[in-house]
Amino acid sequence: MALFDDEFRKKLEYLSIISRRVFAGHFRAERRARRRGTGVEFADYRQYVPGDDFRHLDWKAYLRINKLILRLFEEEEDLPIYFFVDTSQSMTYGAPSKLDYARRVAAALCYIGLANLDRVYMTSYAEKIRGELAPQRGKGRIFKVFRFLEDIAPGGETNARESFKTYCTEARRRGLAVVISDFMDPTGFQNGLDILRHFRHDIFVIHVASHEEVEPSLKGELVLVDSENNVSREITVTPSLLADYRTEFAGFCEELEKYCLKYQLGYIRTVTDFPFEDLVLKVFRQGRFLK
Amino acid sequence: MTFLTLSPQTVTLLAVLISIALIATYFLKLRHRRVVIASSMLWSRVLDRREARSLWEKLRRILSVLFAVVIGLLMVFALARPELKFLTGSAGRLMIVLDTSPSMLARMSDGKTRWQHATTIARQLIASAGPGSQIRVADTSGRYDSPMTSDVARLKRSVDGMKPLPATARFPEISDSATQVWFITDGVSNPAIPGSVRSEVVYDTARNVGITAFEVRSTPAAPQVYEAYLEVTNFSRDVRGTTLTLSEGGPGRISKEVQIQPGQSYSELFDLSNFQGGGVRASAEANGDALPLDDVAYSYLPAKKKAKTLLVSKGNAYLQAALKLDAFVDLSITTPGEYREDPSVDAYVFDDFAPQVQPAKPSLIIGAQRVSWLRNPSGDMDRPSFTSWTEDHPVMQFLSLHDVSISRAARIDPLNLTVLASSGNNPLIVASSASSASSASSAGSSGARWILVTFNLESSDFPLHESFPLFIDNALAWFGRDRLAIRRNTGTVEVPAANALISGPDGKPVSSQTYRDRTVFEAFEPGLYVATKDGQRQYVAVNQMDRRSSDINHRTAMRTTDAGPAPPFLRHELSYYILLAAVLLLSLEWFTYHRRITL
Repeated sequence: MALFDDEFRKKLEYLSIISRRVFAGHFRAERRARRRGTGVEFADYRQYVPGDDFRHLDWKAYLRINKLILRLFEEEEDLPIYFFVDTSQSMTYGAPSKLDYARRVAAALCYIGLANLDRVYMTSYAEKIRGELAPQRGKGRIFKVFRFLEDIAPGGETNARESFKTYCTEARRRGLAVVISDFMDPTGFQNGLDILRHFRHDIFVIHVASHEEVEPSLKGELVLVDSENNVSREITVTPSLLADYRTEFAGFCEELEKYCLKYQLGYIRTVTDFPFEDLVLKVFRQGRFLK
Repeated sequence: MTFLTLSPQTVTLLAVLISIALIATYFLKLRHRRVVIASSMLWSRVLDRREARSLWEKLRRILSVLFAVVIGLLMVFALARPELKFLTGSAGRLMIVLDTSPSMLARMSDGKTRWQHATTIARQLIASAGPGSQIRVADTSGRYDSPMTSDVARLKRSVDGMKPLPATARFPEISDSATQVWFITDGVSNPAIPGSVRSEVVYDTARNVGITAFEVRSTPAAPQVYEAYLEVTNFSRDVRGTTLTLSEGGPGRISKEVQIQPGQSYSELFDLSNFQGGGVRASAEANGDALPLDDVAYSYLPAKKKAKTLLVSKGNAYLQAALKLDAFVDLSITTPGEYREDPSVDAYVFDDFAPQVQPAKPSLIIGAQRVSWLRNPSGDMDRPSFTSWTEDHPVMQFLSLHDVSISRAARIDPLNLTVLASSGNNPLIVASSASSASSASSAGSSGARWILVTFNLESSDFPLHESFPLFIDNALAWFGRDRLAIRRNTGTVEVPAANALISGPDGKPVSSQTYRDRTVFEAFEPGLYVATKDGQRQYVAVNQMDRRSSDINHRTAMRTTDAGPAPPFLRHELSYYILLAAVLLLSLEWFTYHRRITL
């Protein structure tokens, strides 16, 4: 599956993921870490204490003030980025499906992360963690990511709380958690995001909706069947009912957005018929996700 | 409530069945289309909230079925054509007969004519009939008789098209005993009315002075002296001062004031010596006269001119005497040898002679002759006698030929000729007809009229009879002399000539029909009509001189009825409004369904 072409991939290389937090990483990367280390960019001075690497002693300062002063450098480290792609049955809805759209967004962001030497974790979830890709680093690993995304099989109900709880209780470094989902979670979207917040991840929410969900074109006497749990419901579609639904959907989006604003989470909402390239190149930049 | 088309049991059964069928149809589950959506989470929230919102959500589910049942029931009721008498009156069969006799034109005290009142009542009766009523409108003249219809506009148009006519009043036949019949009359004409008829009388006492007789005639002693006989009758209940006037197109005019006692007639002979000739109009004018129709009468005064007549004879004293005595003849006499056609002559009388070429002017030929333009005799018959003659023909008017003796007459073929008198099947006197005149004209002859007597005067005692000078005079008059008008009453008029062209007082053609040897036409307005045939004009004085019509106060005993039925509250049949309601409900249901107000 060609999630994006070579030309688009080149564009992505000029972008980098920014995080409003800077996390320490095990490997040198192209991000400044809070920890001082072996980087090339000067950061500060401090008194030498035994055990310090005296290769970083400032001998010129010692000659002037007769004290051992250690030069500190900012250490550039990698950023763990956790991608959570909702693969519940509801994500198969729409044309193109929300899942396809989510896969492309995830692949693009993943590529940007790999290109910036960040450590990328790719996870699919529904009622539980359904698939996990070992951490990847470097652009050359993008094809593994592609294969993983291609192999995702949608299905099941959404239960982000259980999925994230399972994932985060394993030993994980704090990092940027990108959740790509329609957030149609019967247990409530707050529960899942609360888990990620609890483990102090920087969270970026990408809310994917289909056009049919925003502006349903239903008419007449219908039986609505829930794609996740097959629960059906008879309705007679009236203009006022459609208006009520649209109000409900807008309220749902607003609720999600307010939640993100409240806890300073990144939030982007998109619909599947919005051009994918524009989303990545423009909307993400406007949303301060890329620089 | 009654139903016009279905029994109450049928209506109830239909109503129950329709209701059950509609409710059953409503409860039959429609196979709803299945639509898979991503998640019903938001839809469930919306639906749960809406269902809990109000009673209306539950009510509107049954609103559609209520609409359907009500519409179905309304249609059943409309089909049954219910009738509520307090709303729509009662539908029935009604016949309205209007008296169209001339007396209906009499003006009443309020200034309107009896006819105007009658048409107003007729319209009220039509309007007050129950919707769906079948109504027939007819008049007593026989000219208008609409079929049974419930089309009110058509009925009112029929009433508007009627008018009083001078015709014999005949009550139209009532086709159905169940029909309620109203007769609107002034009670003057009094036709034979069936007992079941309810009458509405439009009448009040009115003043009328009318001409009951008018004739222009010549005096027997001096045929060229004319006088007019005028009779005027006062049909009022008081003495009426009346101005009688006779006038013509020329300077002649006579006027006279008379007082006429109630119920009495005034008659007088007026000398018309000062009149030049032409149409004569008589009028009787009285103040406050209610019926103008009989206030005028017309006649015709022939022009005072002698016809230049040439007698071609070897010598016939009887014939010469008869012609010389005729006041309308300017006689010249010549012998057959000296005969030459003279353009100044108005008519020829050939005695035992006929020229080879037909003269351009009319001619009377005494004795059959062998010339091309006459019928050649095919033999003789001995001692014929007049067995029949056409008294209606102008030539044979006032003649008595019973005892005329004839020793010998010629036999001729009467084909295409008008036989005026005959002995058995053998004609004795014939006249040229229109067809013979036209064939003669095509053969090169003049086509002028001619009369042929098939026997010589010497071989009969006809000249000794008093009918002889009358015959001569009639024959010369038929050749073109100006004649007195035929007098007729208004209505259907007959003229004793087939295929005559009729023109009215205004000179416009009047449609006519030929019945046997007469021309029949309808003349509803008094005036001087003209019947033209073969270039000969005959005036017909048509006057309204019927005493019964003029006697507008002579009301026969009439049963009056209570006031007619009150107009119904609703103008149309109840089923009309029910159907209207059903259509409105159907539209409302359609609107509410498509707006999803109902489900």
